[in-house]
Amino acid sequence: MMEVLDFLFNMKSMGIEAGTLLMFGMLLALLLVGIPLAYVTLLVALIFAVGWFGPMAVPLITSRVYSFVSSFVFVSVPMFVLMAAILDRSGIARDLFDAMRLVGGRLRGGIAVQTIFVAVILAAMSGIIGGEVVLLGLIALPQMLRLGYDRSLAIGVVCAGGALGTMVPPSIVLIIYGLTANVSIGDLFTSAFFPGLMLASFYVAYVLIRAYLNPEMAPVPEPDGIPLSQKLGKLKGLILPILVVIMVLGSIYGGVASVTEASAVGVAGVILSTVVRGEFSVKLLKDAALQTLSTCGMIVWIGIGASALVGVFNLMGGINFVSDLITGISTNPTIVLLFMMLILFVLGMFLDWVGIALLTMPIFVPIVVKLGYDPVWFGVLFCMNMQVSFLSPPFGPAAFYLKSVAPPGISLADIFKALLPFICLQVLAVALLIAFPGITGR
Amino acid sequence: AEFNFKFQSSDPAGNPNFELQQGWTKSLSEKTDGRVEIELLPVGSIVEHRETQDAIAAGILDGHITDTSYFAGKDAAFGLIANPVGAWSDPQQMFDFMSEGGGNELMNDLLEPYGLHFIGATTPGLEAFVSKVPLDGVDDLKGLKMRAPEGLVQQVFAAAGAAPVNLPGSEVFTSLDKGVIDAADYTVFSTNQAQGLNDIAPHPIYPGFHSMPLVEISMNKAKWDELPEDIQNAFTESVKEFAQSQVSALAARDKEAVEAAKAGGEITVHDWSDEERAKFRSIATGEWEKVAEKSPNAQKVYDVLTTYLKENGLVQ
Amino acid sequence: MEGDMAAEHQTETEMRADRGPIPEAGLLGKFVDRLGLIFAAGIVLAMLILIQEVVLRYVFNAPTIWAHETTVFLCAVAFVFGGLYCTARDSHIRVVLIYDSVGPAVRRRLNVVISIVCAIASAFFAWATWLLVERSIFRPDGTVHFETSGSAWDPAYPAYLKLFLLAVLSVMAVQFIVLAVNYGRAARGPSGDTN
Ligand code: NA
Ligand code: NA
Repeated sequence: MMEVLDFLFNMKSMGIEAGTLLMFGMLLALLLVGIPLAYVTLLVALIFAVGWFGPMAVPLITSRVYSFVSSFVFVSVPMFVLMAAILDRSGIARDLFDAMRLVGGRLRGGIAVQTIFVAVILAAMSGIIGGEVVLLGLIALPQMLRLGYDRSLAIGVVCAGGALGTMVPPSIVLIIYGLTANVSIGDLFTSAFFPGLMLASFYVAYVLIRAYLNPEMAPVPEPDGIPLSQKLGKLKGLILPILVVIMVLGSIYGGVASVTEASAVGVAGVILSTVVRGEFSVKLLKDAALQTLSTCGMIVWIGIGASALVGVFNLMGGINFVSDLITGISTNPTIVLLFMMLILFVLGMFLDWVGIALLTMPIFVPIVVKLGYDPVWFGVLFCMNMQVSFLSPPFGPAAFYLKSVAPPGISLADIFKALLPFICLQVLAVALLIAFPGITGR
Repeated sequence: AEFNFKFQSSDPAGNPNFELQQGWTKSLSEKTDGRVEIELLPVGSIVEHRETQDAIAAGILDGHITDTSYFAGKDAAFGLIANPVGAWSDPQQMFDFMSEGGGNELMNDLLEPYGLHFIGATTPGLEAFVSKVPLDGVDDLKGLKMRAPEGLVQQVFAAAGAAPVNLPGSEVFTSLDKGVIDAADYTVFSTNQAQGLNDIAPHPIYPGFHSMPLVEISMNKAKWDELPEDIQNAFTESVKEFAQSQVSALAARDKEAVEAAKAGGEITVHDWSDEERAKFRSIATGEWEKVAEKSPNAQKVYDVLTTYLKENGLVQ
Repeated sequence: MEGDMAAEHQTETEMRADRGPIPEAGLLGKFVDRLGLIFAAGIVLAMLILIQEVVLRYVFNAPTIWAHETTVFLCAVAFVFGGLYCTARDSHIRVVLIYDSVGPAVRRRLNVVISIVCAIASAFFAWATWLLVERSIFRPDGTVHFETSGSAWDPAYPAYLKLFLLAVLSVMAVQFIVLAVNYGRAARGPSGDTN
């Protein structure tokens, strides 16, 4: 016992290399034991703060918790989740997907393709991902399952599609990158636009190929002999959702509201839609708000722990450690770049993107510039890397967000398994960005 | 090294300010023959920028290089001394006030009770104003939707008839681009230019008229008191030299960026007349009094500041 | 066929919404669950404030100085409370690879250990937050001054939020102790009486 205590209060003596390994090992072990995710990262942060620096360093963690919850960008998370919770309780989503099925016609995988299309539109409406994955998880996932789609395919489309929120402008990842690297956010947005669409089109191509190779994965509606007039009636389901999208996108691109405010406009639009449909009730709003509280509690507390952990790691000398790893690896720019990608990939397995950005940007950006690469292109590349980090296990935020609203029968293991092919597509996109920087238009 | 410290900056890693601050840590190390090594961390790497004061007092960080106005919520005095909107039209005026007008002593009177020692002041210089619409005087500010985050700046613009919108830095670009706001208080011209703000809001005002933040370099008081006197002197000297070199480096960058902006042909750089600047200054000084009422320390800052400005003929 | 599946989905949604606190969370868990309504209402209020701000600014060119700070505050308290809310309902996400593979008896013991560890951690965090709160509600000379935001409106939201964080973390520590005790009882008592 004394030895354990002694070790706990002398962690500093093991040095940063062993410390980093122990940190990742501890994260993994505590995750697997079944401690709630939100507390795993907080716990590891606590152990290292106390062990490395002593109890007086613990306020660092609570200070980060305080700063994390009070940052303006996260205001759009509850807004998107509230939108999702209201849609989920009304018939809007159902009618939308019925209408989409008509539009998709007899195209195999049509609903999944349209879900990706919806995801891209959502991505243009928001700059973060938590709310979007939840929204698609509540709306699109049950509908695809209802229509007989393969579960893995449906899960993958929802998570990967929802994660597009930071790839298609506006994007908080690109904004933070721009502030850190001192490059034009406008240039970053412009350069990210096509790569974002490219990634989405990979998803579409993947869905179509899988669906045509194995028709059972994506059943098409049988000719049902329903008269055309009735079919056209079903198309009404498109009207309200499209109006809401116009309201939100219009308010952003028309300069009426900031991106965060626009998410509130979306909620108002959805509430109005339920009123128009005669579905609105106080109980509906109350239930939706309570679900929002619960879902946001989960989403935000996952991020809280990750942010705290990075603070502790940086204080331990994490920035110097990572920078020493890179310097001296090679004089060949390509190898340095690939090594950076490897670091981003590994970090992506364990940390939230905010933490990764805090840790790596100060190191990577100056090196990239020195090597003669375009920092805007690298920003887009970084953003694409973060797409991978959202999905990659064991710490895959998009998977966690989906899990928080998925039907109980879907486990995290199911979700991660379903995400594998989509991670491969993201890695392919990263590789293409490196091989053909021209994709960014730079 | 004999003394190893961790300082956190309020600037991000790629920002020119941060690179210059790294230069300061290097010069300090040279000045002390390697006895002092400072690891400079970018904004947010240990704690958020508003929390560094507490972290230093708690011994988590050793020091910071930061805009003093971030602590206006602790005491309004920090807000007033950090950015007495309208007081300075040149960095040297502020530096003179710090060294000869009692500014340094005032800063330490404020900071020491919080457990920090103030080493010295620097500044990025006069911030340029970012605008989508041509602004050539105070009257043009009427009803202008503009972003202003910090206390006094926001208050003064409101008093000048503008409609200040409270937005975080991360929302400035898109909001300005899409026209949610027409103008913004952001940072110095060269950085605005690099981040593309002048491309979406092509009527910048340069030289600026509204804000010149005091950036403090300070550290944990107990740790400072333990330092031998020659090291303390090296700190103070190196900060003084750094302040001068930062101001001239950034002024040169600004000039270069202004030339580039003018040559591009898309951006119109506006320069306010002395009359308009004076008009704005008198509105600003009217607001100082309101801040002074907020705390005894703020009143003290107000008294020292106005006395100095009057004695030196900087205000009537 | 289709209708059945839709009905199933409907009940699942209902289930998730009405799940409530787990029995092991005790009376405190019920109380926390009830309290949730206030913070959920705060989120709706935040939405209304943002809409109001957009209208005032865009239509009347008269933005307020309080809307954004208030919105952030309402969301922040909801986020903080949400963590406690999920604890009482045991709805925080877990990776259950090992957790699910052990038998129910081992799992209950695991639950006891996890709850105790989390209680200790929460207590630690509550203490650390007290250190933040101290600097946020007192001036160095000992007089009371609630830390404000420093904006032109200058509300004391930072102090309130730090105080609130202290309260929630303290309650969370107690909640974990309650959970540990109740899991412990179940582990010793006849099996299969919960869930
Ligand atoms: Na987006
Ligand atoms: Na990941």
